[in-house]
Amino acid sequence: MAKSLMIVDDSATMRKIIMRTVRMSGLEFSRTEEAGNGNEALEKLNAEPVEIMLCDINMPEMSGSELVKKVRELPSCDDTKIVMVSTESSQEIIDDLLANGANGYITKPFTPEKFQEKLAPFMN
Amino acid sequence: MSVDQAVFDGVLLEAAKEVFETMIFMDIENASEPEQTIDELTLLGSITFTGTLEGCLSIFCGLPAAKAIATNMLGIDATDDISEEDICDAIGEVANMVMGSIKSRVQHGIEKLAVSIPSVVTGRQLESNLCDGENKITVTVNIEDEYTAQFSLLYRESEK
Repeated sequence: MAKSLMIVDDSATMRKIIMRTVRMSGLEFSRTEEAGNGNEALEKLNAEPVEIMLCDINMPEMSGSELVKKVRELPSCDDTKIVMVSTESSQEIIDDLLANGANGYITKPFTPEKFQEKLAPFMN
Repeated sequence: MSVDQAVFDGVLLEAAKEVFETMIFMDIENASEPEQTIDELTLLGSITFTGTLEGCLSIFCGLPAAKAIATNMLGIDATDDISEEDICDAIGEVANMVMGSIKSRVQHGIEKLAVSIPSVVTGRQLESNLCDGENKITVTVNIEDEYTAQFSLLYRESEK
């Protein structure tokens, strides 16, 4: 059964690019949502959780790492897989995100093959 | 700590090429020309960084080049309408991704580098003077043999 997806990024352009790249990867989702910041993402997740969330790190208002911590406090999102999508490539920051509840990491610039590789394990 | 300028030599062009090839689907080549002044309406996308080094990466190009970059990034037809907001957003993302690519290439030689959120301004004869007088690397590129863009990396060692 196809999964639901949310893309969280403060750049509308980047959300469209991620959506296009996900489609090019061949992965199919039953429902896709977008959020321009952490608060909007939490509102949408409270209304209806998603199974996979793609999340930027450097965002105004609420950073991606803060959002991961808040999502992990939501019982309804226990099973949500969170994959960070960012230009941030510091291993220390990646390790910290994974320790705090993120399930994967994709660095920009990215390719459809990278999305296939990182998201396929969460599609079953 | 002295940061050897050689760390950045070549990295700016490599990073820009990676972003244009994988995310924008356009070929770029080093124009091997001196710095140019673009007289038409220009977009300047910049992103700052702090840490062991502090400075600014910027891309500037004319509006037609920016529109071509944005439409290619979004996968829409070049003749389709695209808002100025989307064009600015796209140029900001280019600056963000090129800086991210540079960071991943030099992070073993530089202890700490925190990157800001990108910003974009439009105007005529724009230039970035942040950190001017320190180290500056400029690369002019031809995009698909049709457009020109300039990338500049200005940096200095942090005084902290």
